[in-house]
Amino acid sequence: MLGSYNFSFAQEDTTQPPATDTTAAPAEEPTAEEEEPSLISPSIDFTSVQKGDNSIDLKAGMRAKVKGQFINLYKMKVSFFQVVNEEDIPLGFKITDGNGKAVFNVKGDSLKTDAEGKLNFKVVFAGNKAMESAEELVSFKRGRLEIKPVKEDSLLTVQVKLIDIGTGEETAVKETTVGVFVKRMFLPMKVGEGETDENGEATIEIPNNLPGDANGKLTLIAKVLENETYGEMEASVEEAWGVAVSDIIKKQPRALWSSNPPLWMLLTFIILMVAVWGHYIVIVYQLFRLRKEEPHATNH
Amino acid sequence: MELNSYQQQAFDYQRPNIEKFSKRNWFWIIFYLLWIVAGGYALYLQIAKGHGVTGMRDNVVWGLFIVNFIFFIGLSYAGAIIAGLLHLFKVPWAKPIVRIAQMMTIISVIVGPVFILLCVGRFDRLHHLFFYPRIQSPMTWDVMAVVTFFVGAVLFFYMAIIKDLAVYRDAKMKIPKWRQKIYTILALGYRGAASQKRHLLISQNLLALIMIPLSIIVASILSWIFGMTLRPGWHSTIFGPYFVIGALYSGCGVLIVAMWVYRRMYKLDKYFTDKHFVYLGYIMLALAAGYGYFTFSEYFTSWFGSEKWDSELIHKLFSSGEYGWWTLFANLFGILLPMLIVAIPATRKVNWIAAAAFVMVIAMWVKRYLIIVPTLETTLLPMQDTRTEYVKYAATWPEWVLTGAGLATFFLFFTLVSKYVTVVPVTGLEEAEPHFTHHPQQQPAANKEEVKPA
Repeated sequence: MLGSYNFSFAQEDTTQPPATDTTAAPAEEPTAEEEEPSLISPSIDFTSVQKGDNSIDLKAGMRAKVKGQFINLYKMKVSFFQVVNEEDIPLGFKITDGNGKAVFNVKGDSLKTDAEGKLNFKVVFAGNKAMESAEELVSFKRGRLEIKPVKEDSLLTVQVKLIDIGTGEETAVKETTVGVFVKRMFLPMKVGEGETDENGEATIEIPNNLPGDANGKLTLIAKVLENETYGEMEASVEEAWGVAVSDIIKKQPRALWSSNPPLWMLLTFIILMVAVWGHYIVIVYQLFRLRKEEPHATNH
Repeated sequence: MELNSYQQQAFDYQRPNIEKFSKRNWFWIIFYLLWIVAGGYALYLQIAKGHGVTGMRDNVVWGLFIVNFIFFIGLSYAGAIIAGLLHLFKVPWAKPIVRIAQMMTIISVIVGPVFILLCVGRFDRLHHLFFYPRIQSPMTWDVMAVVTFFVGAVLFFYMAIIKDLAVYRDAKMKIPKWRQKIYTILALGYRGAASQKRHLLISQNLLALIMIPLSIIVASILSWIFGMTLRPGWHSTIFGPYFVIGALYSGCGVLIVAMWVYRRMYKLDKYFTDKHFVYLGYIMLALAAGYGYFTFSEYFTSWFGSEKWDSELIHKLFSSGEYGWWTLFANLFGILLPMLIVAIPATRKVNWIAAAAFVMVIAMWVKRYLIIVPTLETTLLPMQDTRTEYVKYAATWPEWVLTGAGLATFFLFFTLVSKYVTVVPVTGLEEAEPHFTHHPQQQPAANKEEVKPA
């Protein structure tokens, strides 16, 4: 049974195809180079988020198709550039994380727009022994999203304003869909949606029973998603509009599921361990006493 | 250390066995070591490339390693129960075989847990089991139980050989000085003084009293790793006693086989007599009946209940296209065959009983496989990715080589221990034993001098 094949007690066909690792980093593995006759062609997903604090997040996601499966490329160095008049101005670099993603934050104040009021960025992966180089461009018009919570009696609303600042003058952006989200543990949860009017404003009502943190605070986020002109935009504000929910369980009950075991279980465990180990100690003590005994007076 | 005539005779007879290694001993030791080296290479592959080199996957997370762990640790528990009972009840005929039961206890408890370590993917988190234990978890119970049992097994074996170590110390044997020194240290100054005898006996009785219930508890705890889990074939109220009797049964089989091997290897016919084989055969028969009863109850209630998951598992176990032949083998050769061989007077012979015990031990190993793998292959939720290797378990060659290395270690220890302590306990034999008759033709020519107090 000791062959290159697998053995199973089951009678069905159990031959295993070679296992594939969906989180491997081919660039770092020497075996990837041996197994792949040609260089791997990575692709970069490049997006931007214009934030409320006037900064911009440049997001790059790297992946490649290896052995028919897409894998995220982690620990890859990606460089970010601003493109002005066909000239690449280096901004910095980042290393992709375990999901193959890298986020570079750039302050918006120092950036110059082109004649159309647009910003152009480029992300570049230089390539390595196993992989080809890759680059991607993103272009968007400069804009700003403002968020303001308004409480009228028991009615909770969020006023959102979308302004174009690409040309240096502030111009309202109308007929654009804006979503309102609240920050949750994993991903923001959408609680409302509206469309900007002629003044670039939208008023969106939000529920008044949302669970907040221990002090009832909610993080409200206004988002413009996948806009052709402005890309992605967001702005956030904190407001104590939520229902206070403490995430600290002060005292867990004694139960199987909690970190506090049932008392009877704890006592049984302690009694058993003390009984057995207590015996061991007595026995070892008795063994040590053997040495001290008189060597004469045998019974034989 | 003074011996009576029967003890002296037993020591003189076995003395050459512990004084030197024969060519055959060396052959087997090298053979076992080669297996262990091969196992080392398989382990290196497993560490270097990860658990992907095994057949274990997300669904079937346990395979050969856990089967081996349960098998070996069961032998250990069985050895402790058998040796403890024989000691406490002072069964006269069983005195020569107690040492083998004790050897089985300690060797198995060393080999068994190694297979658990082979299953652990994150060695760097191993200490969490001790630093952050969760009292509600059967895994925690098992870790504590195995550690506690290991200490008890070491003490149990050591106390049982102290008197013999004193004999080896006082006999001027042709052995290296370092061995003589080790015998002297380990004998703890035992000279057979009345007070020493009393203290040692009290300690042995105390430990035997603890080891028997402890073995039953830890065997049950082992079963609860499965029994406490809501899986078909595992979540059963009878799993505790089922595992206890299963361990005792396979332990009895290994005891018979070990006795047969030592009897042939060291010509110990006058100590491991036909009577011992027959008596242990009777015990094996009784345990086979008990184990068969539990097995039938387990299968019958699952089948009769017709619960979906249970039915699926029962179908797997009895379908000739899946595990049917192995189920048949496990029950036919693991239960019925040993019963028949011991029950029929014509086959109630040493070689027949030893052969039945040998086949039964293999069948009991297969039975452990059938407890673990088919259940894990019976998924509670539909699997989206139904690639064969995700649903079915197939052991890979590194797993088989590591299993072989574990077995080789088991046999290596049995060989080595028998070269450092006598297989038949010298001081355990008493003058009144009727079957320890002297056979002058089997007496070795050398080593006739008597053991005198130093």
